[in-house]
Amino acid sequence: MSPSRWRTEFPYHWDADDLVTRRDLLQLSVLASGALFLGSLVLAVLGRLDRRRRGTRRRIVRAAEVPEGERFYFSYPGADDQAMLLHLPGGRFVAYSQKCTHLACAVYYQPERKRLFCPCHEGVFDPETGEPTAGPPQRRLPRIVLAREGEWLVAVEERP
Amino acid sequence: MTAPPAPPFDRSAPPGVHALVLAALAIGTLLMALQLWILTVGLDLYLAGRGRGSWLLALVSGLIFLGGVLGVRLVGRVLPIPRG
Repeated sequence: MSPSRWRTEFPYHWDADDLVTRRDLLQLSVLASGALFLGSLVLAVLGRLDRRRRGTRRRIVRAAEVPEGERFYFSYPGADDQAMLLHLPGGRFVAYSQKCTHLACAVYYQPERKRLFCPCHEGVFDPETGEPTAGPPQRRLPRIVLAREGEWLVAVEERP
Repeated sequence: MTAPPAPPFDRSAPPGVHALVLAALAIGTLLMALQLWILTVGLDLYLAGRGRGSWLLALVSGLIFLGGVLGVRLVGRVLPIPRG
């Protein structure tokens, strides 16, 4: 490569370059540190004021239509938000979003193995709590609060 | 007869000053890495809906920032920049 070509591609002369001293760098580091602190502070305030609730009260299915050990897939809170209702052994009903907290693949209930399984990256969740037990997911599945209205199971809201 | 030109002012720092500033930079970089990790933990807690406890993380991050501000002031006071 001829010198004239690299100079056209990199048209900066050494004398025109700004000198950044160690002290300047130290001050820039403190500014960056302040920005990181600000980010943590914003998250702390948001966490304190957390009101992230989604969805409105809506009937899902009659309880008798989901036998023990079975599941029922439905949409909640929006029409495109897939969710699942589980009838756990022992008679308890729980509901979670089907969206994996790793990369948002669909999570499925495997009652024979007593687990919620994400086939994309083999993430595993506990069906009792929605907490991750294996694989890459680090956060629990968003829970859907349930209530009963007579024979109907009702979704009240979704919480992270 | 004109006076000989004054020798150029030597702006190089006294021995040991560079090392101290570099040490401050190295420690600051390590603490900033810790702050970055704190930020990711705080974000993870917030996304999990457990952000109520993240004020403690913000406190630690704030203390590191405060330490950095004091450190820079200390470096400026103890190791002043040579002036011509």
